[in-house]
Amino acid sequence: MRIRDVDKEKLVITNAIDQIVRDGFQGFSMNKLAKACSISVGTLYIYYKDKDDLIQKIGAVIALKFFTGTVKDFSPEMSFEEGLWKQWENRAAFTMKYPKEVAFFEIVKHSPHSDIILDSIQEFADFRKIMKEFIDNGLRNKELVPMTFEAFWSVAYGPLYTLLNLHTEGKSMGGKPFKLTKEIMKEAFSRTIKALTP
Amino acid sequence: METELNSIHVFKTNIKNIDPACEMRKTLDDHSDIKHWSIDHEDVDCVLRVVSDVLKPETIIGMINQFGHECQELN
Repeated sequence: MRIRDVDKEKLVITNAIDQIVRDGFQGFSMNKLAKACSISVGTLYIYYKDKDDLIQKIGAVIALKFFTGTVKDFSPEMSFEEGLWKQWENRAAFTMKYPKEVAFFEIVKHSPHSDIILDSIQEFADFRKIMKEFIDNGLRNKELVPMTFEAFWSVAYGPLYTLLNLHTEGKSMGGKPFKLTKEIMKEAFSRTIKALTP
Repeated sequence: METELNSIHVFKTNIKNIDPACEMRKTLDDHSDIKHWSIDHEDVDCVLRVVSDVLKPETIIGMINQFGHECQELN
């Protein structure tokens, strides 16, 4: 009789993320993963059909965690400035709390797995709807300058993700040690808001 | 609904690749007691995974052997 072992599943997910972040998809194998977890390959195949299935299932768990975290205490009804700041706070908190998961998802993003993962999560559709509503409200209330979506996104989140990348690296230009603080985030945010509002 | 863990059977095989029109594929596809099956050709063990509430591992091994392939249960 097989019983689902939640701790073992967690161990598999943690090790898989570690290996994929370190070696990429090419260097990753079910056999290596089983060894790292001290479980048999057979057990691994009970939970996952193959390598692609494993990558997609883990990707879905992370994506779901990201969407849930990003909309926490956020409402599309918020004023544009308040809502965007909440987005910055939530996205920064997620990246700082789960740096490996974020690195894993960066790898997935540039692979064909990405669409399969996002299509498998109902919450992704909800997330997109909420974010669209937020932008539409901003435009209607004249708190936001109309622009191409990609141009909007790059201005609205580009500075944040640049700072978060530096934070994850632990250093900025010229190797200078760097740690992202709320003050620095606020500094960048105040200029970002100016660029987006009429 | 999540698949009941006890209905998943996993085997090490020597099935390196599989012709879409081959008899084995047809037999597994059409078998009324098999809910899903797949082979991971990328893996060194060419792992065959069969989901069935009814079939015993020995029966599945017998079926695969009939098609001239090696098949051994992975525990």
